Amino acid sequence: MNLYISRGDLTRWLDQLCRERILLAPVRVQELTLFQPVSKVEEITLDFGNTTLSPKGWFLPPTEALFSVQDNDGQSQLVSSIIEKDAVIFGLRPCDAKGIALMDGPFLREPSDTPYQERRARTSLIGLSCRQAQPECFCTSMGSAPNDSSHVDILLTEIENGYIAQVITKKGKALLPKALVKSEEALPSPPELQTVPVKEITLAVRELFNDPYWEQLADRCLHCNVCAYVCPTCYCFDMRDYSNKENLERVRSWDSCQSIGFSRIAGGYNPRTTKGARLRQRFAHKLLYFPEEFQQDIACVGCGRCIKSCPVNIDIRETMSDLKRLEVKGGS
Amino acid sequence: MDSELIQQIRNQARSLLESGEVKGIIGYERASDGLTARPFFAYEPAAVERLIFDETCTHNLTKYLLNKKTEKMAVVVKPCDSRTINLLLNEKQIRRDMVFVMGVACPGVVETSWNHKDGTLQARCKICQLVEPLVYDFLARHEAVERPQGEPYRDVQEMETKSVTERKDFWVEQFERCIRCYACRQVCPGCYCPECFVEQLDPLWVGIRIAPKENELWQIMRAFHLAGRCIGCDECEHVCPVNIPLSLLNHKLEKEVKELFDFQAGLNPEEQPPLTTFKKEERLGFEE
Repeated sequence: MNLYISRGDLTRWLDQLCRERILLAPVRVQELTLFQPVSKVEEITLDFGNTTLSPKGWFLPPTEALFSVQDNDGQSQLVSSIIEKDAVIFGLRPCDAKGIALMDGPFLREPSDTPYQERRARTSLIGLSCRQAQPECFCTSMGSAPNDSSHVDILLTEIENGYIAQVITKKGKALLPKALVKSEEALPSPPELQTVPVKEITLAVRELFNDPYWEQLADRCLHCNVCAYVCPTCYCFDMRDYSNKENLERVRSWDSCQSIGFSRIAGGYNPRTTKGARLRQRFAHKLLYFPEEFQQDIACVGCGRCIKSCPVNIDIRETMSDLKRLEVKGGS
Repeated sequence: MDSELIQQIRNQARSLLESGEVKGIIGYERASDGLTARPFFAYEPAAVERLIFDETCTHNLTKYLLNKKTEKMAVVVKPCDSRTINLLLNEKQIRRDMVFVMGVACPGVVETSWNHKDGTLQARCKICQLVEPLVYDFLARHEAVERPQGEPYRDVQEMETKSVTERKDFWVEQFERCIRCYACRQVCPGCYCPECFVEQLDPLWVGIRIAPKENELWQIMRAFHLAGRCIGCDECEHVCPVNIPLSLLNHKLEKEVKELFDFQAGLNPEEQPPLTTFKKEERLGFEE
């Protein structure tokens, strides 16, 4: 079902949403665009290609307390971490919505991750389709599209005099104001995107697991965590307990396979010490392990954030092309 | 792009690889956007055709020497980067006989990001006084280089006019955005500890939280570890994904060290950095 929303309707609707719920929306912070909780509609910007960081941080925050144990008059009390209100993410791009759907694989498979599940169940997604593609975008090669409505509750598409809302789920329907009229208007056609060769890339990664390619590519890699932290599907984390006299807290924070200590195990042994092995892990996880483990698509949605943010231009599109070419050739 | 300059670099690189004098060349090639530059490693003579040099060559390639200590490498250095060669020699992180320095007389580099370059010189280039690298084995030079006469530490002086509270509020707000991706550390040629304090588990100096207090501690310690050692390439700021103005912090420390010790890092490989030495006559206000 498609409904028409005027610009005025949208403002009133968002105003209502931010009073009733936690509303996360794109906000300009210096020269960045970030999803942040907003208390006023005026804080929201809709003039952006994509946000600097993906919305994954709402479901897997950079840092969160999973639970705490508090001393309550000599009795230990376990306090779990919950969000105070239902939430809405407004303005996320279809690629990022797919990123969230992919993260469901590891986090919702039994036994599910309680804090993630709670946030996921209590958050509605209002997507915003892309009328323009960015130079780094390649979502259509990764099973999504600028107008992909598969992973959102409502998808908005901007038209000349407002927006068309495609109502995808019951959750979405319940969220919309009642008085909207149906729209028969044809949706504008999505922008054309570059194509990246991904067919059977999983096989190529398997074949080239021991290829010198990885060490060569890693020559340039700085092994910072930028690619992982801006990525909508990278979900690795570290955990630690912190305590003082009254309180013990189990904390989870983002971590990345590019850190040297990431794979260090008890006793100090590190099975992944070379630069090439660390860089290969990033691509092998996305292109090989993830689809095999979770029977899902490969763990890249084509948002291009890693391409844009990498300080030394490690470009996943180029890596995938290289792998396909090397596989045909039978290795380096 | 100055094709004569590039030809000089390629010719030298080819002869170094063909003679076997070096194992590889660390230089620049065109990035995937077809517009800016990225680091490039050439190990075969044929690969030198990919080498470029232009106003988008912002990276300080000397960082990579730290990964290549066992094989002799040639590295393309701008005048600013050459100060890092001196720093790393002084701190005994590289051996002079294991590095072939391919200096480039540089007219300055511009602000870039992926698929974007603008016409303005980077702030560090506006105050750079070096026409040629301070150390080199070969110098690529073509067009005459003129140095702008910018005044250093303008950014610091402006900050110094603000009150302590204003300055504190400014930095707290900046550090709140930090996601602790450590790109600033990873790109810095002065950051080479095998295990960074921020990742040490025993003792645990900084917790794993990506949160204001921890971010602040990380950023302050990072800056202090570079006091009197930072050569001002500003790469940390350039790579920060959340635009924290790290160079401002580095410049402040550089200015303090200059005023106290009349020392700037990397100008001379023989001169000991003041914060790694102790002289009895230096009292710095204690018991005076």
